[in-house]
Amino acid sequence: MKIILVGFGIIGKGVLKAINLKSEHLKKKYGLDLKVAAICDRSGAAIDEEGLDLELALKVKEETRKISNYPEKGCKMDILEVIGSVNADVVVEVSPTNIETGEPAKSYMLKAFETKKHVVSANKGPLAVSFKELVTAAEKNKLCFRYEASVGGAMPIINLAKETLAGNDVKLIKGILNGTTNYILTKMEKEQLDFDTVLKEAQELGIAETNPHQDISGLDTAAKIVILANSIFGRDVTIKDVNLEGITRITPEALVMANKSGHTIKLIGEVTDKKLEVCPKLVPVDSPLNVMGCLNVAMFDTDLANDIVVVGTGAGDIETASAILSDLINIHQTIKN
Amino acid sequence: MIFLDLELKDSPGELLKALQPISSAGANIFSVIHMRENKTRDGRVPVKVVIEKLNDNLLHSIIENLEKLDVIVAKINEKRKKINLEIVVVGHIVDTDVLDTIDRINEIGTVVDLDLTMPDPIAESSARMRITIDNEKLKELYDEFDKIAKEKGLLFIKSC
Repeated sequence: MKIILVGFGIIGKGVLKAINLKSEHLKKKYGLDLKVAAICDRSGAAIDEEGLDLELALKVKEETRKISNYPEKGCKMDILEVIGSVNADVVVEVSPTNIETGEPAKSYMLKAFETKKHVVSANKGPLAVSFKELVTAAEKNKLCFRYEASVGGAMPIINLAKETLAGNDVKLIKGILNGTTNYILTKMEKEQLDFDTVLKEAQELGIAETNPHQDISGLDTAAKIVILANSIFGRDVTIKDVNLEGITRITPEALVMANKSGHTIKLIGEVTDKKLEVCPKLVPVDSPLNVMGCLNVAMFDTDLANDIVVVGTGAGDIETASAILSDLINIHQTIKN
Repeated sequence: MIFLDLELKDSPGELLKALQPISSAGANIFSVIHMRENKTRDGRVPVKVVIEKLNDNLLHSIIENLEKLDVIVAKINEKRKKINLEIVVVGHIVDTDVLDTIDRINEIGTVVDLDLTMPDPIAESSARMRITIDNEKLKELYDEFDKIAKEKGLLFIKSC
């Protein structure tokens, strides 16, 4: 199976590392021979329909920051042109997210569907903004569109609800879907530090981004629950429909007050067929939702299986690549059958 | 038969006090199970009382009298009646008239405990409230929280 990798940042590099690491395992266990026919970044692309040398691609990117410097096969071709012209089965879309317009990732995905390529994405923006348009384009062209990595990183959420829990009526999903805010609240609680101090430390450690607005305002979690609302609950909503409150007003004293009644405070995203909410909530300390540090957690309330809880790493290059790889394997098996 | 789930303060004589309004109303008590080992989060002792079937008016008057004695009637026939709600509030709680905030909550439920911390005269303060409320009035209370939050710039952190 040939893929085009769009986006060669932390996640893109993680995808190549995971493919490299698992290539023999994928061949043996699934009969899947993954070849990367093209890699695109802002500088251009490297193209070889017979399969690029992944270690060389990673080396070129590391040393020059531009994939267009890949020897002989590097070029300045535009990403849309690469998607349209290179012969491949799947586009793996992991370019930077834009949760206001979803662009340019949305156009990349539409171009992929238009040129009969399946899509695997880790990109929240286009899914939160234009879910229906993208799903319709995939269905119209009878193509697979999978996006497990867009919510909860390595943690199975979308595929768990749609496939493993198939037959169940999922009544509610709630949980912590942003590791940065969980890290900040955990640290504030443990060390009685104020929000600004912990945020600064998280930025120095690379846990929070230089511009942490999307995380701490709850927008990142909101984008994820919109994806869950649309993909699992069959709703047609966008971020604007989310009742949103971030964690910037949480004080160490508020956490002490919560502790006094046997609770802690977590930024919880909650979705049902009517509700769409992201806000700090009191969580009992003995609840499975009380996970620490950068961990993510999701609780499903279902009619047959009752409560199901998944806990995992919500971010990270290899962790996200794990979800992408599972989507690629699923597409391979779908094509085979 | 009617099954009542009561929650009593953990002090001597409370069980006897709680049975008084039932026996005074002339209702037969079939059984009383005192569950000292399963205390509630706020330290109350759950008691299950089974009484004979009564008409609605008599039952209502018994419940009213129990509540006057600070007995929480948590469930009637397994249907949850009262809940104990914990919330944390962040903001300028005192400066925005804390009495008015409590009065407005008390019109819907009852604030039974308040713990307030003011680390700095300028910084926002934090408070913990425990509210006892009829289950069916929960949405009304949450709507009032939203109203107060907008008016006074307070953040109400509700239970998950």
